[in-house]
Amino acid sequence: MKQIIILAIAMTISLGSEAQTLDGRAIVQMVKERADGDTRSSDMELTLVKKNGSTRQRKLTSWAMDEGKDTKKIMFFTYPGDVKGTGFLTWDYDNPQKDDDKWLYLPAMKKTRRISGSSSKTDYFMGTDFTYDDMGSRNVDEDTHTLLREEVRDGQKCWVVESRPIDKREIYSRKVMWIRQDCHTTIYVEYYDKLDKLHRVFSVGDIKQVQGFWTVMRMEMKNVQTGHSTIIEMKNPQYNVGGVDKNMFTVSKLEKGL
Amino acid sequence: MQLERINEKFGSCAKMLIKRRWLAIAAFIVVMVVSFHAMQSMVMESSFDDYFMEDDPVLKMTDEFKSHFGNDYFVGVLTQCDNHFTHDNLQLLRKLCNELMDSLSYAEKITSLTDIEFMVGSEDGMTIEQIVPDEIPTSQSALDSVRMRAYSKPNVARKLVSADGKLSWILVKLRTFPEDSVWKQTSNIAPDMITGAETHRIITKPEYASLHPLATGMPYTSQQKVEYINHAMGKLMIMALIICVVVMLIMTRSLRGVVAPIIAIVGGLFMMFGLSTKIFDYVDMTTTMVPVILAFAVAIAYNIHFFTYFNSRMRIHGCRLKAVVETVSEIGWSVCFCGLTTIVSLLSFLAISIKPMQNLGIMCSLSVLFILLITITITPVLLSFGKDKKVLLADDSPRESRMSRLMVGLGDFNMRHSRVLCSCFAAVCVVLCIGMFKIEPAFDVERTMGIEVDYVSKLMQVGRSEIGSLYSYDLMIEFPDNDEAKQPQNLKALEEMERVARGYKQTKRTTSILDILKDLNQTINAGDTAFYAIPQTEEEIAQLLMLYENAGGSEAEYWVDYDYRRLRLMIEISNYNSADSEYEMADIQAQAHKLFPSAQVTVVGNLPQFTTMMQYLVRGQMQSFFISILIIGIIMMIAFQSIRLGLLGMIPNVMPAIFVGGYMGWAGIPLDMMTATIIPMMLGLAVDDTIHFFNHSKLEYDRTGDYDESSRRTFRVVGVAIVSTSIITSAVFGTFITDQCLNILYFGLLAIIGILSALAADLIITPALMKYFKVFH
Repeated sequence: MKQIIILAIAMTISLGSEAQTLDGRAIVQMVKERADGDTRSSDMELTLVKKNGSTRQRKLTSWAMDEGKDTKKIMFFTYPGDVKGTGFLTWDYDNPQKDDDKWLYLPAMKKTRRISGSSSKTDYFMGTDFTYDDMGSRNVDEDTHTLLREEVRDGQKCWVVESRPIDKREIYSRKVMWIRQDCHTTIYVEYYDKLDKLHRVFSVGDIKQVQGFWTVMRMEMKNVQTGHSTIIEMKNPQYNVGGVDKNMFTVSKLEKGL
Repeated sequence: MQLERINEKFGSCAKMLIKRRWLAIAAFIVVMVVSFHAMQSMVMESSFDDYFMEDDPVLKMTDEFKSHFGNDYFVGVLTQCDNHFTHDNLQLLRKLCNELMDSLSYAEKITSLTDIEFMVGSEDGMTIEQIVPDEIPTSQSALDSVRMRAYSKPNVARKLVSADGKLSWILVKLRTFPEDSVWKQTSNIAPDMITGAETHRIITKPEYASLHPLATGMPYTSQQKVEYINHAMGKLMIMALIICVVVMLIMTRSLRGVVAPIIAIVGGLFMMFGLSTKIFDYVDMTTTMVPVILAFAVAIAYNIHFFTYFNSRMRIHGCRLKAVVETVSEIGWSVCFCGLTTIVSLLSFLAISIKPMQNLGIMCSLSVLFILLITITITPVLLSFGKDKKVLLADDSPRESRMSRLMVGLGDFNMRHSRVLCSCFAAVCVVLCIGMFKIEPAFDVERTMGIEVDYVSKLMQVGRSEIGSLYSYDLMIEFPDNDEAKQPQNLKALEEMERVARGYKQTKRTTSILDILKDLNQTINAGDTAFYAIPQTEEEIAQLLMLYENAGGSEAEYWVDYDYRRLRLMIEISNYNSADSEYEMADIQAQAHKLFPSAQVTVVGNLPQFTTMMQYLVRGQMQSFFISILIIGIIMMIAFQSIRLGLLGMIPNVMPAIFVGGYMGWAGIPLDMMTATIIPMMLGLAVDDTIHFFNHSKLEYDRTGDYDESSRRTFRVVGVAIVSTSIITSAVFGTFITDQCLNILYFGLLAIIGILSALAADLIITPALMKYFKVFH
């Protein structure tokens, strides 16, 4: 599932370089459509870092598969001990009008609960600095996109695209993304708050090709206003994983556990 | 001899000044321009966090709390209407909430009837939804079902809506405000002030009038206070200016006599605020009026001394330049000396460990210093322009005015009845001294500002309503190790702690992680109320919290920290009484120590800040008083070159402190930021009169060798001057009495009591003491 998250971020991020007369929207669309296989799996480590330097870790194993434009993900916590075995199943719909479906399995109570309703996409994902939107497949048309310029960042040629949300209730007023032209991956994003002050900064630490797919191995989101940051590291990513089919993304599988 | 030499120096300086008078004017204008420019970046504040010194333990605890739980400030809005559960009212409430969320720059999360993480459980699922659906129904039956849902969870409802549906409570949680160094790069308005102003702008929009919204919370309260004081200060400044103009016109009968003190006031304040902007992080609005009004008082007093002497010399010889030099020579040093004693006395505020009090001491001192400098430089320059006049008097003997005759009569009466008068004075002092022990410090808005002030009255209305709250404080429980905060036995102890806190007189409600956990437990068990309880195992708790986080719940982070090591219990109160609060906070800490023996327990928030500030203020007030007395005593000993005289001179100077303190105690006037400044200030002002009186008495005693005669002559000359300046200064402070705000009103009243008691002491006690102790033998 971590893999899915990484991929989701990559989705938000990746692009196709063959574009000739690209506008902002087309570039973001290319990021979203970047190839990432039909199924994926990985182990993920979430490290939450406070301003004072103290850290908190969570580990998960995750699987994901695409169904058309939608994505199904399942993840199980492996660390810390008191949440070990807790499973999380999500069906992310590309249609922004349709709420995602989520289920959580709680082994201590042997209960599965479907989570639905008004869980806002602007809420933060499990106490991290990433919102569900940052982690998921935000629809391209939920923002208006403007290609600002092209420039070289970290030795890579990038498009610099500014996106402004159409819904004024988003937590950011705009974000500026640096998108690598070679792999259609967003490597750096600045999120600005409603006062147009820098709020969060996303950066990618390591990108490599796994089975021919560009994979972000390490990414960080830092809230520059609070000093809190979250690092997500991807371990053992795999694409087009055998044995992963839609039967894996069901409540009964969730309750069965790893 | 020494005094004569000093006077000669002043005289020669005056000659030099007159020679270069255009240069002096040019230099003054340049300083004014620079000061005015510096003032542009002045930051006005009135936040309680800023009251503490940077290394204060209370501030450190608050910062520690904020680092784990975020901003402890919030904005609360109470709405009132006949029934909130109508289509129009719910729609308007939602619109108001949306606007608060969208337009408050630091809004992070909103909780209201229309914005709530409302958990609903069923056999197989859990939904986090809204009480009020996206599409607000119009039919009565659908609205009734919304009402039923709102009251279906009493523990949720009690935070959102009153039992009769007439009141609703909107709570806006705020993002952590940026560091001072960050926001000051782009603005000179503090984030809490921005938040308060934005809140006010929204709730006063005509479209929301039918909901009668009233706001509370520290950012709003602080901003309203700044707004009110700004307005009051403008009004008082105009009144003080009118009094200044009228008094100076009567006393000096010249345009110059009006212009000179105004130049001194404006110049002194520009320079003081300009320099203060550079040396302080901010200027506290609450106490800004003190240096301003003090500027009026001292500028008038100093200029009256100059103009009175100058006019008398002009009447004698009519030569303008000569009269200016003589005036500076004779008056310069005594005015400087009086100014210095006032400055020293005001600097005793540095003994109070409250930042704005210390800043105030420096600002008042700077204000007096700059006015002193302008008076001894610019006033003589102004007087030097113009023609000489015809001589009106043949000699320099003073003309006996009606006032002089009255004063001589008063002096004679005092000397004849000194025993009776002193006995009466002593009896009054004993009564007042008893009253001094009744003084109670207060920092709450109701007692310091008063219910007559519109915004205070509205705040109180919110606090006393069924669901609104006025202040809050937090109990932070820090365990030795991570994850202990989610252990069931610790959460059960927290539950007991909540029970204790709810039993307090002032508590309106408590909030902690238990609200979420119990609600979650109930929700996951199909809404069965039997499960509104703390889960049994640590795993259940951890997984429920995981469920909550994954369901988009974000409230938990406000109540349990990141490492699951710290728990927060917020106690909201509806009213504030300092004695009750002190008891309740001490008790809650003691109870918490018993329930969490291995944990560190800290009380943070506005109320502990109030309590600590009260302790600082009482201690600081005492220290400030004794430091002023000590330094003034030393100054008097140096001035009179006699320890005995210095000590005797202190007796009349202590009188204003006894009168002011005693009156405060008996009249129930609380010790606050404004009233705490009175006693040291009165000491600084009163000592001037005593010095004048002692000096002149000694001079006359040397001439006559008779105490009665020297007293009579002193009353004739100095008596008139000190009565005039006391009346004028009282009139200036009297402008404060016209204000609705209690601490402004009390400040004016106490200042007048202080000035007049100092005058009475100088006129009644001082001559009697001099005669009884035969001080000039």
